[in-house]
Amino acid sequence: MTVVHDNLEKTEAKMSANAVSVFYGDKKAIDEVSIDIPTEYVTAFIGPSGCGKSTFLRTLNRMNDTIPSARVEGCIELDGEDIYSSGMDVVQLRARVGMVFQKPNPFPKSIYDNIAYGPKIHGLAEGKDELDAIVEKSLKRAGLWEEVKDRLLDSGTALSGGQQQRLCIARAIAVDPEVILMDEPCSALDPIATAKIEELIAELNGRYAIVIVTHSMQQAARVSQRTAFFHLGKMVEYGRTSDIFTNPHEQRTQDYITGRYG
Amino acid sequence: MSERIAPTRTPEFEARLKKRYASEKRFRALGLGAIVFSIAVLVFLLGTMTFNGIGGFQRVEMKVPIDFTQAGIAASPDTMAQPGALASLEAQGLRDVLQYFAAEELGEDAADELGAQAWRDVAAAVIADPALLQRSESFWLPASADLASGYEGEGSSDMQALAIGLYEDGRLAKNFDPGFLGRSDATNPQQAGIWGALKGSLLTMVVTLLLAFPIGVLAALYLEEYAPKNRWTDLIELSINNLAAVPSIIFGLLGLAVFLTLFPNLRSAPLIGGMTLALMTMPVIVIAGRNAIKAVPPSIRDGALAIGASPVQVVFHHVLPLALPGILTGTIIGMARALGETAPLLMIGMRAFVATPPDGFTSPATVLPMQIFLWSDEIDRGFVERTSAAIIVLLLFLLVMNGLAIYLRNKFEKTW
Repeated sequence: MTVVHDNLEKTEAKMSANAVSVFYGDKKAIDEVSIDIPTEYVTAFIGPSGCGKSTFLRTLNRMNDTIPSARVEGCIELDGEDIYSSGMDVVQLRARVGMVFQKPNPFPKSIYDNIAYGPKIHGLAEGKDELDAIVEKSLKRAGLWEEVKDRLLDSGTALSGGQQQRLCIARAIAVDPEVILMDEPCSALDPIATAKIEELIAELNGRYAIVIVTHSMQQAARVSQRTAFFHLGKMVEYGRTSDIFTNPHEQRTQDYITGRYG
Repeated sequence: MSERIAPTRTPEFEARLKKRYASEKRFRALGLGAIVFSIAVLVFLLGTMTFNGIGGFQRVEMKVPIDFTQAGIAASPDTMAQPGALASLEAQGLRDVLQYFAAEELGEDAADELGAQAWRDVAAAVIADPALLQRSESFWLPASADLASGYEGEGSSDMQALAIGLYEDGRLAKNFDPGFLGRSDATNPQQAGIWGALKGSLLTMVVTLLLAFPIGVLAALYLEEYAPKNRWTDLIELSINNLAAVPSIIFGLLGLAVFLTLFPNLRSAPLIGGMTLALMTMPVIVIAGRNAIKAVPPSIRDGALAIGASPVQVVFHHVLPLALPGILTGTIIGMARALGETAPLLMIGMRAFVATPPDGFTSPATVLPMQIFLWSDEIDRGFVERTSAAIIVLLLFLLVMNGLAIYLRNKFEKTW
């Protein structure tokens, strides 16, 4: 019963999923989800716990490959190219589709090395100067530069939770991805750190296609222009954020956003 | 209703609370007792060892003055620098010269009780400084085993009388013997040293480490990071766990049956000993390594994968460095066990009497615990003390090895 609003103006889809199902062993976690993710907007996935929104997010850069029992059916395209085809290199895919996790997970290395790691392994920088420039640019875009510029060699794990999460965003930005996936990036943060991350998302909007999974409907309303509501492994409704929150078509969406379950 | 008492304020609750505190106190006392007992045992062990071992670093020596100007031994600095120097001195009758002067100065009886290899000490001094041959010089030279026991108040009464006589003349004494660390096994405890066994242990440990560490770590990495979880990997895991519990003598039999059949000429060699001990150490490293790798948070792996690191890069840039402290802890335990092991080495012939230190991985050698075992079997009192001294050397070796590993572990330790 996947109903998709057809009142969306035609925008170019960066990624598009077509009848995607995900199985963990015999259990079907995602049931035939189809969605187009636009380049110029922030897309939010909302839904109650266990509805499969994180699982679906992880299929977009094939992070589910690390789970042996997970199996994906259907077709997901990035710029028209099937990311599950044998021709798609998973390392390259993940460089193009970056990810930020629920819990900040900086490497136990220096702040500088955290950012420089991606460009280094992909050979994106020639020489130290270029690498320095990438580190500075990434930290500036993540709004962390002013706070850490004097202690780039300190451990990334010594930062506060909010700073760590921005460090992880800077780390994702450093390899210049086309899409950034965020899996509940604020769930472990206090309101002030959350506000900073939300500001950051607004600033990054337009430069990267951003998909954010969130438990907080207010957050989805604040940061996103497109919202998809997931329930029990199905995508119930997808449309403009303003429409979803003010004028949902589906009863289940209505019930969820008014707090009847979730 | 006003009479109602909250359930946590009833007398029954307070009695239970008291019981809980009492059991906690009991538990703490028991734990403290266990620690005190362990420390007491350790102190006792180290105390007796040191007390007995001090004597092992000393030997009974006789003072023999030699007037080289009368000896008629010719040696130029050039010939002394060459490998045949010792043979040349022997051919020129250095032995007889020593015997002559000993008889002259100390009497025939005492001269007969000079250690059989005492002339080698003189020769070594001459080789080190050929100018000695132009003057006379006094040497403290090892006494025979019989005279040494006489000095300790044991053995025949003749010998005891001789020892007392020499001692009162200031010509017999028990001196600190730095050479103990430089010599190898000998039949006379006064001339026995630990260097041969120490070097044998060192070479054996090098082989063990070079084989067991890389194989163990790679096996652990593969099993944790790459291997599919199925019946076969379960079986392999079970086998490795069982392998770690196999009695060490079985590994010795394996070494005998496999390695010595393949390389029959390498009996008693540190290479074979090291290979046998590596078999024993490897499962310990694999188990510790797997636990350390499991303890690396999956979020670190995810983070690295998500910016496009390949699985090999994830393993070598992130997982391995974070798991290294734990792997090193396992390696310390495994290597310490291998260092103290005698049983498997008995099987491959490392219990032979080896009077020269091994000069490579393939020459016959013995190891420290084996040397201790061999000496503890001797009847001569001199060897009892030498045994304690060898135990001290073994413990110090262990301490240095563990210290190094702990230093490395702390160096790689990181927080996340």
